Amino acid sequence: MIDYKLVMNTAILAGELMLCSGAETYRVEDTMNHILNTTHAQTVEVSVMMTGIVATLGNPDMEPITATKRVQERGTNLNSIMEVNEISRRYCAGDLPLEEAYERLQKIGPKQYRVWLFNLAVIMVSSGFAPLFGGGLIEMAAAIVTGGVLALVMTAGKKLQISGFIQTLLSSFAVAVSAILLKQVLPMVDDNIITMSSIMPLVPGVAITNAVRDTLLGDYISGAARILEAFLIAAAVALGVGTGMALMGVFFPGGGLA
Amino acid sequence: MMFVLGVLGCFAAVSAFAIILETPRKYVLHDGIVGGIGGFVYLLSIQMGQDVVMASFLSALAIALMSHTFARIFKAPVTIFLIAGILPTVPGAGMYRIVYYLIANDSERSSYYLVQTLEVAGVIALAIFIMDSIFKVRIKKTES
Repeated sequence: MIDYKLVMNTAILAGELMLCSGAETYRVEDTMNHILNTTHAQTVEVSVMMTGIVATLGNPDMEPITATKRVQERGTNLNSIMEVNEISRRYCAGDLPLEEAYERLQKIGPKQYRVWLFNLAVIMVSSGFAPLFGGGLIEMAAAIVTGGVLALVMTAGKKLQISGFIQTLLSSFAVAVSAILLKQVLPMVDDNIITMSSIMPLVPGVAITNAVRDTLLGDYISGAARILEAFLIAAAVALGVGTGMALMGVFFPGGGLA
Repeated sequence: MMFVLGVLGCFAAVSAFAIILETPRKYVLHDGIVGGIGGFVYLLSIQMGQDVVMASFLSALAIALMSHTFARIFKAPVTIFLIAGILPTVPGAGMYRIVYYLIANDSERSSYYLVQTLEVAGVIALAIFIMDSIFKVRIKKTES
């Protein structure tokens, strides 16, 4: 006798974890289908959208089960996607009993890197892209400062649990302001280049990539939602930088405009 | 000199971005390599006289190709390499310039960069699509 409910719970948990971690829609559906199909039930239906999951399992020897899961918070955590993938693959191959698979899924932790490493990474992204935009060693060094400000604002925003849009806006605002202030202290740095490279950790690269892959695989609702997400993030970055430059233009004539 | 600095910078920046995205520890440097190659192709195309859109297209193609290759070699989802690796081509500079010229009251250049940024985003989509399709064809052949 198969424990249909536990299979359903495992599938829903796996799907939820993947969706929260920013996996493509088809991958979530695929994984859940694989898990549910291990019961060899007659009816296996999974419908995943960017904001939630609906799954049904039905067989003549049971009452059909339908479960819904609404996913509120989404970020990017590639490690979770990898781990869920691995567990589901091993469970479907028969290497892992159902109970253990479920327990392992529950144990998947949210973060594997510490806060200081995250902040260091933000600074490294800011600094590392300076040469791509035409900067030299001076700009790389200057971008470390603006990247540090960015990391500070991002960490503070996380502590205060500011929502995504405002967080991006405030972060890019801080980058623009600090870049222009830096220009006042050190006139030889190019504040355009350091602003450009320092907003790179904020730009919607993840959203664009996922939007393309979802749309082209036929998941139009998720694809459209992600395209909207990409535009929103881009607008937040632009708004933040614009406000920062306009504000600094008041204090320093010419401000951000060279 | 600038060229080498650019490629190394991309390598470091994409590795760091991989950490922000919580990439599994063992794949962080692979992501960096994908990003470095992307930066290399981008800078090379710019030096050969291509415009930003074409350079972004070529570099996104290279990045998608490398991501799919790595995904096959290391038996990991493509997303792990693609999401971090694509970052050098994402038009952050274009987004900045749109706002910059808006504030400078130069709406002509601002709309020029708006179009360019949209083009770059579209071109990234096209490159990812092309590589996804090519690799799908290959799998089906080997399976049958």
